[in-house]
Amino acid sequence: MNLKVGIDFGTSNSGVAVFDGQQVRLLTIEQKGLMPEVVKSILYITRDGRQYIGQDAVELYYQHNINRQRRYIKQWAGEITYTGADMHYVRDVYVYVDELKPGRLLQYLKTALRKGPSSGYEGTQIFDTYYRVGDLVRVYLAELKRRAEEILGEPIRDVTLGRPVKFSESPELDHKAEDTLRQAALAAGFRSVEFEFEPVAAAYYYEQSLSKPENVLIFDFGGGTLDIAIMRLGNPRDRQIYASGGIDIAGSDFDRAIIQKRLLHFFGLGSIGEFPEIQEMIEAIPDWMVLPELSTPQNRNALQKAICAGIAPVQLSALEALIYDDMAFSLYGQVEAAKIALSEQGVTTIMLQGKNIDLWELYSRFQFENDIREEREKIEAVLAETIRVSGLEPGQIDAVVKTGGSSSIPLFTAMLGQIFGVGKIKESSRFSSVVAGLAIRAGKS
Amino acid sequence: MLTQEKIEEWLKEVEQRPESAVLILRYITERLRELSTRNEQLLTDNIALQSSQRVEEYKKRIAHLEYQLELLRRQLGGADISQLEAQPPPEEADAFNFLAYQARGRILRMEFLRDSLPKGVETGVFASIQDDLAIEGESARLLIVPSHEELLLFFTSGRVSSLPVIAIPAREATIELNWKQSALPNEARSGEKLACLMPLTSLPLTDQFIQVSRRGCVKKTMTSMAENILSNRFIGKGVIHNADQPFEMMLARNGDRIALVTWEGHVLVLDVDSLSYAAEERIRLEVTDHVVAAFTVRPGSALLALTQNGKILQRELDSLEPAKSPLAKGIPLIPPARLEKGTRLIGAGAVQGSDRCLALHRNGDLSLHAIPDLIAAGVLQTAEGLLALAIVPDPGTGIT
Repeated sequence: MNLKVGIDFGTSNSGVAVFDGQQVRLLTIEQKGLMPEVVKSILYITRDGRQYIGQDAVELYYQHNINRQRRYIKQWAGEITYTGADMHYVRDVYVYVDELKPGRLLQYLKTALRKGPSSGYEGTQIFDTYYRVGDLVRVYLAELKRRAEEILGEPIRDVTLGRPVKFSESPELDHKAEDTLRQAALAAGFRSVEFEFEPVAAAYYYEQSLSKPENVLIFDFGGGTLDIAIMRLGNPRDRQIYASGGIDIAGSDFDRAIIQKRLLHFFGLGSIGEFPEIQEMIEAIPDWMVLPELSTPQNRNALQKAICAGIAPVQLSALEALIYDDMAFSLYGQVEAAKIALSEQGVTTIMLQGKNIDLWELYSRFQFENDIREEREKIEAVLAETIRVSGLEPGQIDAVVKTGGSSSIPLFTAMLGQIFGVGKIKESSRFSSVVAGLAIRAGKS
Repeated sequence: MLTQEKIEEWLKEVEQRPESAVLILRYITERLRELSTRNEQLLTDNIALQSSQRVEEYKKRIAHLEYQLELLRRQLGGADISQLEAQPPPEEADAFNFLAYQARGRILRMEFLRDSLPKGVETGVFASIQDDLAIEGESARLLIVPSHEELLLFFTSGRVSSLPVIAIPAREATIELNWKQSALPNEARSGEKLACLMPLTSLPLTDQFIQVSRRGCVKKTMTSMAENILSNRFIGKGVIHNADQPFEMMLARNGDRIALVTWEGHVLVLDVDSLSYAAEERIRLEVTDHVVAAFTVRPGSALLALTQNGKILQRELDSLEPAKSPLAKGIPLIPPARLEKGTRLIGAGAVQGSDRCLALHRNGDLSLHAIPDLIAAGVLQTAEGLLALAIVPDPGTGIT
């Protein structure tokens, strides 16, 4: 059987689905996750070349880095040329590299694909091997393919991959990014690769229900980015894209905002006075990638000294537990769960209890909406700009199809309702509309 | 932290969505209940602190640590612990003591200076007990300890008590000793007997108490429990059958080996690490058999066992493999033919070349013998047979 799948290779999360002609089956490729159909677009490559994706990658990254030894060595990184009116000299630049680092964690692979060539980022050296952007994407897709094949029990040959309306404003770079993705997919073992615009895939169900062409705004608001597209849908042979836009704001930014604005005082913010090194640790809490890097003996020593000196001992003991006792995952999980709960109810709690930690925060939707006000304003601006570029007035848009986990946040539903009218808002499947659309597209091709 | 600003925010949430009020109330009530329980626990702790219960606990713990320190100091011959690193190892204590004790708790102590043993003592009878040597079917037993030693008295009911050796009045070694001249520091209560005396000063340097019963039950208890054991004066019997009774107790480190020797001539070596914290039958005995010796195996030592007629049996202990099975029969030391003729063992111990052996004869004589001489002769001369023996380690190897 010639098995075809749809793959949504997202900035933050990815998914795989298959269409059997009757219904879409979302593959449970992330057994460890809260949502097994969604795998984080994260890649972890160890010193001995082993490669992990998704939750495995994150867990191993934490396991490898919490309380690990570090040994920094000075390494030549390059040189800087200074040129003045009457002088010219070259200066060597050195960096301190941790030679005991057990692996490299990589995320935003799709962003590298989108911005790579224009930003000068074409690849990276990981221990002894140089990986081009395409190589990194290949490794990720190959593991996705392996997991999907394991579930389906047969080899997958063909794939329909989602792609943004524009990888880049420059047609040349856009073409190059698509080509890199295609080559990576082929190298990952797919025999043929097709592409479909992500917003089109997201609105696939909706398009099927149209009896006449309509102007549709796709509001794809996921874990890593917000993608907006305004299109003329209804006739698959004559789709028209009026405008597309987006912004790197999404679910993970809201989690960060909650931690920053509501939870840092549990770990000493505002109570420790002048301790820059401890302040730095506290401020790093919202960033899950940075936290394991803090678990050095020096930092522990600094914390314990401060605790012994009676400086915010309760809060700093909690900080120590968070960094060294592997409590960070639970904290991020609790925050995400609270955010999701606030889409359904007005109030929830964020709780974390463990050795030396007793965090309890009653959190309301009113507070949440205040905390993400800045992000809301940016999103509103991007939306207005995309509508402006499309040349349409909000009244000329017949429907707004929202998809992605963050699209169910009531604040944004209300915002779209205010601009376009509540009756025009259509909700597609929250987490799977893109990948489901891609699977149908693959199945019918 | 609950700030006014936060409360205002909750109120605004309720203004916007009145249904949130119920949720807020429920969450706060749950939290209050949890905090109230925790507060109660904290208050209980606080009361314990204020009423000095906790202080008493800490005082007890400190007292026990000081006791252990004192034991350690005695073990090291009275050296100042803080100066240990700067000093050469202390010399063996000058005085050592022969103790003979019986089931009711009577103890006879004879003190000798190691270098000035009375003439004839080195190789023959030096004292005699003119009294009953078997009380309620239990023969008198022997122990050799230095004067700085602390003794643990272990009774068959599981009761224990401790006292320093020098608290027992010393008697002259004469041929007219009797139990009336002995001390009774802690009399056996009704229904119990004194099972054994155990030297205690090595407690801080060891990991386990090992209890052995007459029918081969073995149980270990961590020495970290010593504080409780000594303050409660109870360690437990360490037996699983009513008909059985405690026989021996010793201190051992993890990784040590112990040996059990039986009346009908079987020997079994066990790894301390393999022992259970619950009493377990480790040696399979015939109905007529029972344990007559249990001791820790010193590296490089040999097993020396004595029959009731003074015949010497010797085996290299290093060559005996520790038993792997949970219930082993042990290795026979007495040939079946001799066993049939009635040869039995009265005691055994781990010996090295220059050790000596103290023997209690059936007629009450106490005799001291050099181990090399005994091994060379193959027999310990006795007129009426033997009842018990104890090993006097060479000063170089230390008294254990």
